[in-house]
Amino acid sequence: MSQLPPSVQYPEEPVVPDEQAAPKQGATSALAQELREGLFKDAKNTIVTLLFAGIFVYIGTRAYTFIFDNMKLTGDGSLANSWLVIDQNLTAFMVGSEFGRTGIGFPMLWAAIYLTAMTLGFATGPEKGEEVDPMPGRTRASIIGPALLGAVVLMTLTDTFTPKLLMALIPLAFFVGFKGVGLLPEKVMVHKTKILVVLAVLIFLLETGFEPSNVDSFGGLMLTINAAFISIVLCFPIGIVFALLRRSTFGLLRPVAVVYIELIRGVPLISLLFMGEFALGFFLPPDSNPLPSVIRSIFMITLFSAAYVAEIVRGGLQSVPTGQMEAGQAMGLSPLTISRRIILPQALRNSIPALVGQFIALLKDTTLLIIIGQRELLGISAPLLQNAQFRNQGYAPEVYAFVAFMFWIMTFSMSRASQRLETKLGVGTR
Amino acid sequence: MSVTAPIPELRTEQKPPLYRDVRVLRWVGQLIVLGVVLGFLYYLYSNVITNLESKGLPTGFAFLDGKFGSAIPGIDDAADLTNGGAFIAGFMNTVRVILFGIPACTLLGILIGIARLSDNLAVRSFGTLYVEAFRNIPALVWIFLAYFAISLSVLPRIDDAPTGGGFVISNRGIGIPWLNPDASRMTFGLMLLAGFGVVWLVLRWRRSVNEKTGEHSRGGLYGTLAYLLWIVVAHFVSGEALLLEGSEVGANARNIVGGMTVQVPYFALTLALTLYTASHVAEVVRGAILAIHKGQSEAASAIALTTFQRYRFIILPQAFRIMIPPLANQYLNITKNSSLAVAVSYVEIAAIFSREANNAAPAVQAVIVLMGLYLVFSLSISFVANFFNRRLSLETR
Amino acid sequence: MNNLEDLKSAALEAGGTGEAIITLSEVDKFYGDFQALKNINLVVGKREVVVVIGPSGSGKSTMIRCVNHLEEHTNGRIIVDGVELSDDIRNIQEIRRECGMVFQSFNLFPHMTILDNITLGPRQVRKKPKAAAEAHAMELLERVKIPEQADKYPGQLSGGQQQRVAIARALAMEPKVMLFDEPTSALDPEMVKEVLDTMQDLADEGMTMIVVTHEMGFARAVADRVVFMADGEIVEVGTPEHFFERPQEDRTKLFLSQIL
Repeated sequence: MSQLPPSVQYPEEPVVPDEQAAPKQGATSALAQELREGLFKDAKNTIVTLLFAGIFVYIGTRAYTFIFDNMKLTGDGSLANSWLVIDQNLTAFMVGSEFGRTGIGFPMLWAAIYLTAMTLGFATGPEKGEEVDPMPGRTRASIIGPALLGAVVLMTLTDTFTPKLLMALIPLAFFVGFKGVGLLPEKVMVHKTKILVVLAVLIFLLETGFEPSNVDSFGGLMLTINAAFISIVLCFPIGIVFALLRRSTFGLLRPVAVVYIELIRGVPLISLLFMGEFALGFFLPPDSNPLPSVIRSIFMITLFSAAYVAEIVRGGLQSVPTGQMEAGQAMGLSPLTISRRIILPQALRNSIPALVGQFIALLKDTTLLIIIGQRELLGISAPLLQNAQFRNQGYAPEVYAFVAFMFWIMTFSMSRASQRLETKLGVGTR
Repeated sequence: MSVTAPIPELRTEQKPPLYRDVRVLRWVGQLIVLGVVLGFLYYLYSNVITNLESKGLPTGFAFLDGKFGSAIPGIDDAADLTNGGAFIAGFMNTVRVILFGIPACTLLGILIGIARLSDNLAVRSFGTLYVEAFRNIPALVWIFLAYFAISLSVLPRIDDAPTGGGFVISNRGIGIPWLNPDASRMTFGLMLLAGFGVVWLVLRWRRSVNEKTGEHSRGGLYGTLAYLLWIVVAHFVSGEALLLEGSEVGANARNIVGGMTVQVPYFALTLALTLYTASHVAEVVRGAILAIHKGQSEAASAIALTTFQRYRFIILPQAFRIMIPPLANQYLNITKNSSLAVAVSYVEIAAIFSREANNAAPAVQAVIVLMGLYLVFSLSISFVANFFNRRLSLETR
Repeated sequence: MNNLEDLKSAALEAGGTGEAIITLSEVDKFYGDFQALKNINLVVGKREVVVVIGPSGSGKSTMIRCVNHLEEHTNGRIIVDGVELSDDIRNIQEIRRECGMVFQSFNLFPHMTILDNITLGPRQVRKKPKAAAEAHAMELLERVKIPEQADKYPGQLSGGQQQRVAIARALAMEPKVMLFDEPTSALDPEMVKEVLDTMQDLADEGMTMIVVTHEMGFARAVADRVVFMADGEIVEVGTPEHFFERPQEDRTKLFLSQIL
């Protein structure tokens, strides 16, 4: 062989990501170069590129017509912008159609929304002494971008000024939390988890007007988010217990965990929801009051998710080297202390990206509530389509596209955030 | 060595009390927890029995012999079925979904996954767009879109359905040409399956030729030719099965006769699930290929393999091994997601359950049957996946 | 075995005070059918440094892991400072408190700062107040010469520094015996010395130590006695001079010829 392949002659490039450095120099020519390489390298490539460009143009024009140039008949026979169906029912999509019944009122709800934004800021902001994370611009954009797009769309769809203004204030609340967390002294930040729990409970109380049973009247996006959030919080400790049991050296208990986990993972969520709807009452003591349907569903989703969380945590536990446990044993620590102080913190940290993935899956799974008659974001659309104004006029594409869009915004930005988390944890202290 | 080292005086007694003996501790704790678990299960069981009896519901599985009393599209006299029979019919309908869905989502997923790794920016963008669009929107929303927004709005009514070439496209169903009803479809189907054995023999023969002479085995070409030839044989053996019978609109313009009619819910469900699951399969494929160390690719290039040979002999065999568990997981998911059919009134297992539960069947037992049937799928898929996993991981030794 | 006399005398007149602190008597260890330790007899005196060498797979690590019950021995008796390693959980915990252990792969807790790593044991097991535990930890960090790293995380330290922290962590429990399981095997060559120096300081201060290592220089310089193991047996025991100058056993000679 006269010449070695180049990869043998040159050592591999270091894997350190350096997003800023490369594109800065002669950015335009580099971009042009990249495009030329990527699109028109040779004849075959050019043909393929043109073919796919055609596909993109087709999708693009169809999407444009669908979004911006789309008129339909309404019930009274007049022609109108077909997005009117969303516009007129936006409140129902957001909070459900039952919301007015409980008399919780919108001020309380807005307070809950602001508190949520602030809590999110609080949870993600840099703590005192922690350097502000230099997140690459592209990642930040891919997290914030969809959220912004969603906000713009929602704002365009609202008619009146007040909700627009109120929505515009949400980022402010987030910012307050994000910056505020850095001002708190270390003494307070030790209790960060407890503070977050208190805040979460407070948000829930605000949403229900300090009457938890009002959760029954939740609908639309509000039900979707609450069902997903409550389930993931509740399933977390159950999942950890089952993960520990499955990993334990206790030969008698492992089968219990294995049967639970594999049984739940082997059946669809819908069968559990059916069980909650039709059969759960039979498992309760005789003459106990029937629980509201929403609560039963959340309970079943929790049991469902716990099995998946258990498997994720088990993976996290497996990733902790046995040496960690041995070091604890050699120090004379009790098994409980070893689990609580040494193994679990590391295992959970390793599981965080997968747990976020599970949360995303859970959020998507809440759509199944429609099958047992709950009116979450997807479930609310069927009755809306039955409104006299829109019935039988073919508004389904608009309504379901809107629902799909809302889900896409939420899951896409969350999955990006979790990728970000993955890299952040990856380059951490290990 | 028989020396006994001097043993000093002991400060502690020999036998520890029970509560400090590790051998005892190891068992007592778990016996207690196990007792609590079993006690709780018994408590639930006794509640169920008491509740069922107080409501006058049967406590056994006798309801399976009761009458189903509801229609299932595609099955004549479904109302006369027993509840158990209806579950089996629903089971078969679930099988129909995954029988199409699993191969289709695999194929599409592999294509999209490879597209995401393409050198061509347009192809790569298309792959990314596909994956990010499909996996970030819930499967059920896709099913609704496919059913209510596309199938029901776009498909024409049956009285002005376009027909031709044996196809009928309408919102009552999609008619496609199908095997000659006069031929033995069973024979034909079995022979198609047997064809894989024929292909296997041909491939083995080509491999031995390759080993003896060094001539390229050209397995793809010979295998395909052999299979096509076999189909022709099957055609004649089964009594001209391939003389397809076309579909057409029935005389009363209400239904489709002849050929095979694909129900619209089935069409929408399978389409949505396939597209949705393919986006996940694509990620599995992409991840697996990326996980193969770059060094492997370089080593393959260094011995002057072509791109195709590199993928065929070096990368894909290794990627496939990594892919099996997550791929099996996706197959499980598509199977479990087929239960979403209940939302578009395609009558599979979950829909059967829903109808029976609303028709006074004892819910607890019906739920057990429902879960049991899905466990049949899950266990079979895990079993097959484990089988392949073990075989392939042994090959690496 | 013709070094019977060596073994006996060595056991009786141990290098330190002559008072036995660790006794292994007829210890066997099985993994299923495989016998990892065969009839191990060894007495370690107070203030004595015993270095265990031998080819890999010879049972060296298994032996010292049996001493603090990370592995359970199958037969025989193990007595540490008058406490027998039995099924009594209190005895096991007591022995573990008295034996500090340093691992080949450091096994620092990556999610805790250096200071928290060191104070965890004293706080949890010895129930020391926080301030006292931290003051003691800082003393120990001074002793291993890296006090400035107290607030960092293990991942931010070099291998040598990590291993010195691991030594400080073990010392924080104020053990009577230190067990070293190949403490320098996972280190880059330039970091081996700093760890060995720390260990030598420790030996000079009179700590009882059992060291499993491949560092022959350390064995020669620091050990009171050298134990050679092969195939799960103790083949030869002697002073470093005896061991390196005039080994008796063929297996010992072969081993030494391979590594020296």
